[in-house]
Amino acid sequence: MSTGKTSSGRAWKFSSDISSDQLISARHVFEFDPRMLRHHLLAEVRPEFAQQAQPGDVIVAGRNFAHGSNHSHPFLAMKALGVGLLVRSLSRGPFRLAIFMGVPVLMVTTDVLDAIEDGHQLDIDFSRGAIHNVTIGKQMQVEPLSPFLQDIVNAGGGLEFVKTTLVT
Amino acid sequence: MGATMTQKILARTSGRDAAIPLAHGEIIWASPDLVTAPEVSFSAYIKRIREIGVTKLAFPERVAVIIDHEVPVHSAAGAERNNLTRKLAKEMAVGHFFDGAGITHPLMVEQGLIAPGMFAAGADSHAPGLGAVGALSVPFGFEVAMVLATGQIWMKVPETIRVRLTGACRPGVGARDIVLATMQQLDDEATSYRVIEYQGDGLSTLSVPERMTICGLCVDAGAKSGIAAVDQRCLDYLRAHGVGDLLPPASFNSDADAEYAMTIDIDLAMLTPRVSIPPSPNHVREAQAMSDIVIQHAYIGSCVSGSIEDIRAAAAILRGHKVHADVKLLVIPATQQVFQQALQEGLLTELSAAGASISPSTCGPCFGGIAQLTAGERRISTSTRNDPGRMGSNEAEIFLASAMTVAASAITGHITDPRAYAKGEAV
Repeated sequence: MSTGKTSSGRAWKFSSDISSDQLISARHVFEFDPRMLRHHLLAEVRPEFAQQAQPGDVIVAGRNFAHGSNHSHPFLAMKALGVGLLVRSLSRGPFRLAIFMGVPVLMVTTDVLDAIEDGHQLDIDFSRGAIHNVTIGKQMQVEPLSPFLQDIVNAGGGLEFVKTTLVT
Repeated sequence: MGATMTQKILARTSGRDAAIPLAHGEIIWASPDLVTAPEVSFSAYIKRIREIGVTKLAFPERVAVIIDHEVPVHSAAGAERNNLTRKLAKEMAVGHFFDGAGITHPLMVEQGLIAPGMFAAGADSHAPGLGAVGALSVPFGFEVAMVLATGQIWMKVPETIRVRLTGACRPGVGARDIVLATMQQLDDEATSYRVIEYQGDGLSTLSVPERMTICGLCVDAGAKSGIAAVDQRCLDYLRAHGVGDLLPPASFNSDADAEYAMTIDIDLAMLTPRVSIPPSPNHVREAQAMSDIVIQHAYIGSCVSGSIEDIRAAAAILRGHKVHADVKLLVIPATQQVFQQALQEGLLTELSAAGASISPSTCGPCFGGIAQLTAGERRISTSTRNDPGRMGSNEAEIFLASAMTVAASAITGHITDPRAYAKGEAV
């Protein structure tokens, strides 16, 4: 297994039921360049996000994140921005896409969600499921992804993961 | 313990012994029998896999590339994309290439490229429509790039929700109302990583295109996919569309002792016309309670509701009526074959005479590609999703319903229960 993902950055907190179309509008469906897509992420929900988000920051959201269209675009953008994801729940298609793009993800409980406010500083060890809320000085523990999924994320995404088996 | 349709399909495509059902939650590597990629993303996938050194597709003969989202092309970028797609489809020697022949999912079914027991990997969200013929078709988005390169995809074997249909829909009620009734009983936690499987006597009252409606929209209920049990009507449809050598239905269908996560029973005779209200398809209301909603636009089409049955149903509702002076009705047959059939039956002539505009087969309005809405406008539509901004302005509203409800609403200018216009029953 390659080195596990850790991050240190700001929490950007969102509600439950943020749809795929809210993450990136369907009008950008033909755009696949991550350098362009990163500017559109959450642009219509919170315009400052894409301008201010830094590598190591995390999107913190409630239930049913990215529901609706099974679009790859939000996860290409997250990868390009270098942000991770802490969510209460995530539709399966988008969950797979996050893993495939190599975006670090943790599924969190309501208690953890409630202990994180927008703007809090978080240090996260994704491989161990350890979340340290630096702002309020609280250490929290959640179930990490299975080793199989961690291997894909740590490889940098699905294509990098299978690269060695490719017949070229 | 028996196996569900999904367990049987994944066992075969992962090379496992069919006699031992796969465990739910088990991770397997499966090899899709069909891979579908529209022009939206095909060139992006090829670019990406070439970056990691892939020069040829693992199973090009299993790959279908379809130009369907921007047809006819109406932007400089679209013209370039379509041209590049044509070139790459040729370079990568894909087995099936369709250029403006219709929308991916109905096209695969109509062309006989999908059959019971097959596993399909689709780039597009509404790939589950292929479940209509007893195939497992999963939307994988960009992961299709991996399938193109390796011929494989990992799957965590999903559980199945069984939906048992009995009876038959009354006039004015149809497939859309069945899937909306299903959504009303399932929230996102119930559907997450589960397949919705339809079975029961009521299923046999539905044509294969109607089954595409109930399977295709399962993704909007939050499910992994949708699949319909195989019956004689399905096999007859497939034979008529060039699919031969079919095994009997029992070999594809779930075993009597298969294990389900949950079971829902729906009596089709009890259903009423329903409408999805903004902001998402699973916000479902009774059509008859929505008559105060004035609409300016109506659309009949998309991969889930642009079949010959939908167009016949709309024409029957509109017969003897005109589209309301304040409403723009757009009708788009899902494939060119449906277009030609509707021409031959005189349906497009009737719809045009009633005031509808007819366009060539395309996904177009479903994702805001054409016929955009501006702030304050409302459309009732047979398309797949109604997220704010999906068809243009974030301040426009989209309501989703059957072709019958859309046609009735186009007559009155407000959301209308179609039963008053449907033959055989008055409200």
